[in-house]
Parts: sequence; C-alpha cells; structure tokens
Amino acid sequence: MTQSPVVRLQDVTKKIGSRTIIDRISLEVYPGEVFGFLGPNGSGKTTTIRMMVGLMSITSGDILIGGHSIRKEFPQAIRQVGAIVENPELYRYLTGYQNLVHFARMVPGISRSRIDEVVRLVGMESRIHDKVKRYSLGMRQRLGVAQAVLHRPRLLVLDEPTNGLDPAGIRELRDYLRKLAREEGTAVFVSSHLLSEMELMCDRVAILQKGRVVDIRAVRRDSESSEAVRDDVWFDVDRPEEALRALGGLGEGRIEDGRLTVTADRGTVADINRRLVEAGFSVYGIRVKTKTLEDQFLEVTRGESVG
Amino acid sequence: MADFLRLLQNENMKIYRRVGTWVMYAFVVGIPLLMSLAIVSVTPEEPTSNWLFMYIASNILVNLIAIFTVVKAADVVAGEFSQGTIKLLLIRPWRRSAILLSKFLALLLFGLALTAAAFAVTLAVGTAFFGYTASPQDMFSEMARENPWAYTLLWYLYQFVSTVVIASLAFMISAVFRSGGLTIGFSIFILLAGGLITNLLSLLDKPIVKYTLFPHLELTSYLDGGTGPLPRYPMTVGFSLAVLGVHFLVFVAVAWLVFNRRDVA
Repeated sequence: MTQSPVVRLQDVTKKIGSRTIIDRISLEVYPGEVFGFLGPNGSGKTTTIRMMVGLMSITSGDILIGGHSIRKEFPQAIRQVGAIVENPELYRYLTGYQNLVHFARMVPGISRSRIDEVVRLVGMESRIHDKVKRYSLGMRQRLGVAQAVLHRPRLLVLDEPTNGLDPAGIRELRDYLRKLAREEGTAVFVSSHLLSEMELMCDRVAILQKGRVVDIRAVRRDSESSEAVRDDVWFDVDRPEEALRALGGLGEGRIEDGRLTVTADRGTVADINRRLVEAGFSVYGIRVKTKTLEDQFLEVTRGESVG
Repeated sequence: MADFLRLLQNENMKIYRRVGTWVMYAFVVGIPLLMSLAIVSVTPEEPTSNWLFMYIASNILVNLIAIFTVVKAADVVAGEFSQGTIKLLLIRPWRRSAILLSKFLALLLFGLALTAAAFAVTLAVGTAFFGYTASPQDMFSEMARENPWAYTLLWYLYQFVSTVVIASLAFMISAVFRSGGLTIGFSIFILLAGGLITNLLSLLDKPIVKYTLFPHLELTSYLDGGTGPLPRYPMTVGFSLAVLGVHFLVFVAVAWLVFNRRDVA
C-alpha cells in the first residue's frame, strides 16, 4: 500500500515495575483497512489499546495517529480516534441521546443533525430517549459504536466489540465496520480472542502472544481467490490409492489420513474431477481444505490456549 | 473558552440529571420548613426573630452541605472510574487538566448553589413564619443585633470558604483513591478525626495546632470581634485564610498530579 498509515506503532513497550507487559510492538494500519488484533486473554491486547488512546502511558516507543504523537500531541492525535475500550460503559443515569450530546460537546463542530444521523445509523431511533440503564448489552454496544463514530474518526478502535452480541448483532456490526472501512476509508482496529470472528471481519491480523506480535498476516477472502491460487483439495472417492495413480501428474496428489488430497488451482481441480469420473471412480465430494485462521493461529502459537 | 464552558455544561448535566442531587435540594428546602413548623407548634407564645431562626437552621444546613459536597466530590471523579465512563471521557481532544478543572469548578458551583439555596430558603421561611425584624434583639452577637444582614452574609461567606476547602480535600481523595465509598468515608473520617486531633493538640498545649487545617474551618469564630477558633491562641482572619489557602493549594495540586499521571486501568 502506498498510502500513509492512519496509525503507526513504533517499538511500543509497556513495563509495569520490572515486568514487560508489551514488548516492542510495531505495526501500521492503513485507511480503509480492518485490522485484527488477535491474542489469548492476558496477551496484552487491552493494554496496547489503552496506550493507543492515551489512557496508559507508553514506557518507550511511540504511537502516531495521523502523524501526531499520542504522547506529545494528545489532543491532535486523539481527535482522529473513536474508541470503545473494553465494555461500552456509558452514563447509566442519562438517556442514550444525552450521552451522545455529552460526547458531542467535547469535540467542536458536531451538529444535532449529525447526532440524529448516527442514531439512525446504529438503528436506535426508537430507544434513544430511554435511560441507558434500561438498555440490553447489545443496545449499549450500539450506543458505544455511536459515540465512537460521532466525530467521524479516521481510526476506529474497538476492544472485543462482539462481546455480548447475539449472532445477528455480530453480523450487523461486521457489515457496518466493513462498510465504514470501504465507504469512508476509516481504519478499523479490532481486538478479539475469537479467531472465527477475526477471519470474517478483517483484512489483516496481528497475532499477539505474551506482549509480542508473533505474526502479522493478510486474511484471504473467498471473493478474492483467483485462478492462480493453489489450495489443498480433498477428493472423497471410493478407491483413493488407485485414484491417486490415475491422476497422472494433474496437481500434486498424495494420500492424507486415507483421503486423496491434491494441491491444485481451480482449473486443475475440475480437470481432476473429469478424469476420475471418466476413469470410473465415484466422486462423492470435493472440498477445499482452507487453512483457517485458527489453524494458522495454532501453528504460530504452537497450540497454547486461546483464552 | 466557549469550548471549555461546554465541558462545564457536561459536568453540570451529570450532576443535575441525577435524582440524588434533587434529594439534597429537598433536604435544604425541607429542613427549615419542618424546623419552623416545630418551633411554631411547640412555643407559640415565645417570639423568635427570623434572624435567630435563620442562624439556627443555617448551622444545620451548612454541615449538611459539607457532607453533600463530599458525596458529590466522590461522584464527579471516583464515580467516573467506578462506572468505567472515565475511559470514554478521557479519549476526547482535551488535556486531562482541563477535564479535571471542569469537574472541580462544577463541584464548587454545586456547593455554591446549595449554599445560596440554604440562604434563600432560611431567609424566606424565617420571614414567612416569624415575620421580619430589622434589629433582632434575641441574637447573641452585637453585630447581629445591629446589622443582621451584614452578619448573616459574612457568616455565609465564611462558611462557604470552609465548604470550598472541604470540597478540595474530598476532591483530592476522590482523584487519588478512585473509589466513591472510600472518598465519602475517608473525607468524613478526616473531618471528624480532625476535630479530635485539634482538641488533643490544644489540650497538650502544642502551638503547632495553629497550622493544622481543622480549627480554621470555623471561620465564623472571628465574627463580632472574636480572636478565632482557638481561645488559647488568638489569631486573625488573615492568618486562618492563609492556612486554609495553603491546604487548598496542596489538595488541588495532589489531585492534579495524580489525575494527570496515573494510568487508567
């Protein structure tokens, strides 16, 4: 990517006493990107997020948001950030609307019509004048998103945003975040310990373990898979050993766990299928053995527990 | 500047949208009413001047206002921590100092508003029940008999100065401990224990008592030519104000340092 990053972490380190909580984390998030921050509980996700939004001091290193240092130019840096840190804890004795007015007053130039727009955006029109203490966790989460996007931030930071949401709510949030990234070019930084979640939501993920980033990788989307990509494909056939011999050089075949497994691109998969059928084999199923993020995660963290 | 006023507006909204605040106002209005009803029904023939009534009722109310201010101090800082809302409050384009200042000013305004309400209610209720007297002969102070307005206003001013210092003490505890319960408990404990410590030091004849906070909260002892709260150590209002001022500055400085420096977990 040639664009300049919205947020840049440079060797960010956090020590509490002699303990190093966060160890030289460096990463960049670009406009329009949904970036996942994945790690077991206690690996330092929330600590990193707290440093990103200036709630915690940084022992060494720096975090730049839109080029402004969060330590030295806090107001300029934080102006570009919207965030929910941990749970969306809002003023329970105020209504949802009063909460939004409260936060809108803290940033110049947010009009009443912008508040109304955001209320519509998160689908809270019917309940916005109720007190927050009457809200379900899902509604508080929506209000949390509303206060975070009120001032049109360039960087949206969400800590475990799907906590407490039902499957429909999770899907809605996912679609909304992707839309925000795509249409407004917002950089979205999401932490989670749920791999499946991240896989569906993110463009790239950093894997965090014991305060270190052990890997940063792109998440492949189905829609982006091209002809050139080679996958491991399982062929469910009646005589795997014979079928392997019948391939005759199409793809890279082998027997794995008694099943015929071939590494091949899409076109070759179709060719293999045709050949097997013509040779009289019964093909019961063809399945792409996608490496899930979970597999990748377990590879990287060598199977340590994932919270 | 206009933007800072919006922070103050937010803090006021958070104070006045709470039921507890209005319960406090109900006390300030209700207590003088109940007291005058009691006085009228018990001693109907003995005349009480409106000023004497105002003095007695106000004495009760200012102590109550000190407690209410401590409770609010616990709310405005520690309350944000215990509710977790501090995390959303501090990630706005404002320095922590500005946020803290808006909270402190809102707290002082709350104390001022309650004090003004106490003044207005005790004056109005007293006049309504006991009639208005220009020179109340049942007041024990010469100044109060001659010029009850000046006496009462000065009395309220002194009490408000004490309220400000108590507010700054509670505010500091609130910012340091970040726990509402602890703030209320600790502040009230200090205020009560303070009186005991003062008594003890005076009994032991230690002049250092002159520099402790607690006796100086009784500024009204200078009214009518008094020599201050410690009969053994005659002092002046200026001296008392200086001692209070130093304490005030220390409390505010500690609150500011801690609030600015500490991580929000």
